[in-house]
Amino acid sequence: MTATLEVNELRKQFSVGRPAVDGVSFAVPPGEIVVLLGPSGCGKTTTLRCVAGLEHPTSGTISIAGRVVSSPAQGILLPPRLRDIGMVFQSYAVWPHMTVRQNVVYPLKHRKIGKTKSTRMVDEALALVGLSEYAERPVVALSGGQMQRVALARSIVYRPQLLLLDEPLSNLDAKLRLRLRDDLRRILKQTGMTALYVTHDQSEAVVLGDRIGVMREGQLLQMGTPSEIYNRPADLFVANFTGATNELTGTLIQRNGTFGTVEIGQGQRVEASLLHGLAPGDKVRIAFRPENIAIGANSGGNIVRARVSDRRYHGTQTVYDIDVLGHRLEALELGTAARHEIGTDAAVSLPRDALWAYRDQGSLAEK
Amino acid sequence: MSALATQAEAAVELRQAGRQRGALAAAWIVALLAILTFLVIYPILTLLFGALTDANPVVEGFNFARVSVANFVTVVTNPNVGEALANTLTACTGGTAIAVAIGLAFSWIVVRTNTPCKRFIAAVSVLPLFAPPLVAGVAWSILGSPRTGLINTMFKWAHIDLRVDFYSLTGLVIVFGIYYAPYVYMFTASALRNMDPSLEEAAEVSGASAFATLFSVTFPLITPAIISGMLLSFIVMLGIYGIPAVLGAPANLNVLTTYIFKLTNWSPPLYNTAASVAILLMIVTAVLVFAQQKVLSGRSYTTVAGKAYRPRSLDLGSWRWVTLGLAVVYLIVVVLLPLFALIVAAFRKFMFIRDAASLFDARMYSLVHFHAIFDNPLTLKSIYNAVEVGIITALAGGALAFAIGYTIHRTQLAGRRSIDVLSTLPVAIPGLVIGVAYLWAWIAVPGGLYGTIWILALAFIARFMPDTVKSLSTSFLQIHRELEEAAWVCGRGVLSTIRTVVLPLASPGVIAAMTLLFVLAIRELGSSLFLYTSNTMVMSVLLLDYYEGGNLGKTAAFSLVQMVLLGVLIGGANWLSRDAAQGSVARSG
Repeated sequence: MTATLEVNELRKQFSVGRPAVDGVSFAVPPGEIVVLLGPSGCGKTTTLRCVAGLEHPTSGTISIAGRVVSSPAQGILLPPRLRDIGMVFQSYAVWPHMTVRQNVVYPLKHRKIGKTKSTRMVDEALALVGLSEYAERPVVALSGGQMQRVALARSIVYRPQLLLLDEPLSNLDAKLRLRLRDDLRRILKQTGMTALYVTHDQSEAVVLGDRIGVMREGQLLQMGTPSEIYNRPADLFVANFTGATNELTGTLIQRNGTFGTVEIGQGQRVEASLLHGLAPGDKVRIAFRPENIAIGANSGGNIVRARVSDRRYHGTQTVYDIDVLGHRLEALELGTAARHEIGTDAAVSLPRDALWAYRDQGSLAEK
Repeated sequence: MSALATQAEAAVELRQAGRQRGALAAAWIVALLAILTFLVIYPILTLLFGALTDANPVVEGFNFARVSVANFVTVVTNPNVGEALANTLTACTGGTAIAVAIGLAFSWIVVRTNTPCKRFIAAVSVLPLFAPPLVAGVAWSILGSPRTGLINTMFKWAHIDLRVDFYSLTGLVIVFGIYYAPYVYMFTASALRNMDPSLEEAAEVSGASAFATLFSVTFPLITPAIISGMLLSFIVMLGIYGIPAVLGAPANLNVLTTYIFKLTNWSPPLYNTAASVAILLMIVTAVLVFAQQKVLSGRSYTTVAGKAYRPRSLDLGSWRWVTLGLAVVYLIVVVLLPLFALIVAAFRKFMFIRDAASLFDARMYSLVHFHAIFDNPLTLKSIYNAVEVGIITALAGGALAFAIGYTIHRTQLAGRRSIDVLSTLPVAIPGLVIGVAYLWAWIAVPGGLYGTIWILALAFIARFMPDTVKSLSTSFLQIHRELEEAAWVCGRGVLSTIRTVVLPLASPGVIAAMTLLFVLAIRELGSSLFLYTSNTMVMSVLLLDYYEGGNLGKTAAFSLVQMVLLGVLIGGANWLSRDAAQGSVARSG
């Protein structure tokens, strides 16, 4: 019932421009939820649509439950309806000319399932998404969140081997998004389905995914558990995209195991984790999160002098701009009280586990 | 003390100014209502009167003594009227069925498949809109007449034992169907374009085949568009005179429109009967128009978010050559064959064609028919008249439509709702009925409009008013209200704001609407038929004259002249409005 998805060297070239998907490989074991995360235009949706069969790949193979469903080299291209998959669309795509029940029963009609059995399956699916009382309503009478629940029920009612979700929450308002996000993970885990989920929202990815794949410009940069992505990002882009927005440049002076000493200018040295194979003398860029800067702390290593140049109070947290050796960095302080005044000098601690050094390949903005 | 007095004086002055403005606004609304009453209500009322009386308007004027519903009932229950009505409904139903099939097929091909040359197909799909119905009818009579028609001649020559007869209800249905398919196409194609493709993708992922998706999701979702395109094409067919006049006359086959004209051409003319049948036609049309407006304003499933959807094109495989083939066949049938027929008939000395060799015998061709039509002084006069009527209609109609559109959409004046209703009323009145109504309105008024070029122009202005107001309104509804409000705040009055802000910005739309009005007026036949006199003969009527005179060569030659003229005018109009559009872009940039 639930199956492995394997994607191998997938490439998709549209008629113009660079490839939308450029050699992406990954596998999703049965019952796992994998989230493809990336900015718009990174190829995540195209990858998903290739798996669905709505887009025709240029090369590479896709197999579901060991069966090759798409392989241009072998001339195999199974239409979506024969892949036994479910899909939830960003725009809900519930059919406005039908009731909730008619929408959900639709896939069963094309599967030759008896009336009593299909009624039971529809009821189960609607109960699972919490819409049992709405079965006979026309879908246009529902709210956006309810429509997306109908779409979800429709995609799981026939227990497909694989569920594909294309930014299912991005059309909903913020509060609803949070609730449906948690419900979604519960429902997916309850059904035990293998799922591939596409989003540009990192918080969604972290909550929903067993593993996250970060994509950029058609390539899969890193695939790992949310904790790996957040604590050991594979490169500067992944680090930056998942929130490590501070950057320092410098030169690696010496290595000591997985850490290294980096000179960041004016003789100031800091210790940082080395996530690339680097040798002394290499130019490096260090990325770290605003949350990991402790202003006014004199312990924890890597103490540097900084000046507070701006302060933005957000209510439950405060964001500071601080100057460190001519670099402008952002620091985040939790709590409803802002403790540091603009213009004060302070000691700042940068823990070495939270500083990730990468080979300097130019800043992200210039790429 | 004196300060208080000045304040009081100022207040009085303000109140006076306010009263003046109120009076002016009221006068403006009254003037517009008066014009609309004169253009629309008065003729329709006289038509109604005509249907309810049996007094001859030319002899007896408006004799209110003999008004009775019985007159109307007698006419409408006449078996000839019943037959014409039955023919009309059959022809329109059959034609609409074909139009829906063709229109729906092409919109699907163009919007949803990977058929090659889609731009070409899209262009071909709307091409028949430019063919004047009378010219199309003439071309198909040359092609499909049972004895001398080109198609039958070719069949005989090729020893194919098959004969076609377009002088029949079937012929009418086919010609209606192929020429009015664009109405269905335009509605359904835009509905398909505005439809979220993931609705169809969801069906496919759910396990439905492409075919099942089409019938369980795609078509049900665009049903409102299909129905309203269907109703519109039915309404247009209902009011068409040219095609049934040409194809129906030889077989003595009457539809309502041709029957009405026959009645006024009787001797003595049966104006009362014509009025009754015209009212009947108007009622049928009005019911359908009402239904169409209902469908249009009803719940539409297609999202109008203005969002550009990722175009979805179904891979048809080798079937895409079949769909391209269909488009080519359609092009041949609606454009190339008729054009070929017109050219052959126009340049050939005698229409008798023995075999294919004779068809390509250069000695059989000459300009004799063109010489003949231009030797007739009426020909040039009719062209001159048509252009004159066109210019009057475009300028006066355009100005009036702008005034109405602005009053309805951009002011809060009391009475603008009634102006809206009155100016939309002609939507439900076929051109021919307007013609009969204007005939009734003015034929009995001595020294009035009847017999002048103005009666034609006024009838056209009334007939095309709803379309003109609509297209003009969209041009200035796009101008943000705040642009106008900014001018008011700067101290400009309403009129000055219109002149300095609204008109310059809306000019491309205004010019486009006026040129459209010009072209429509030049090719209008239905209402001209009843309103021309020998002095005010216009092109479209003269063409019908040539056809009824029985000379196919001259008819074809004049058809070609008209087509070339219309082509030049439409091309020129396009060029003019594009130029204006560029001008405004340059200004705003």
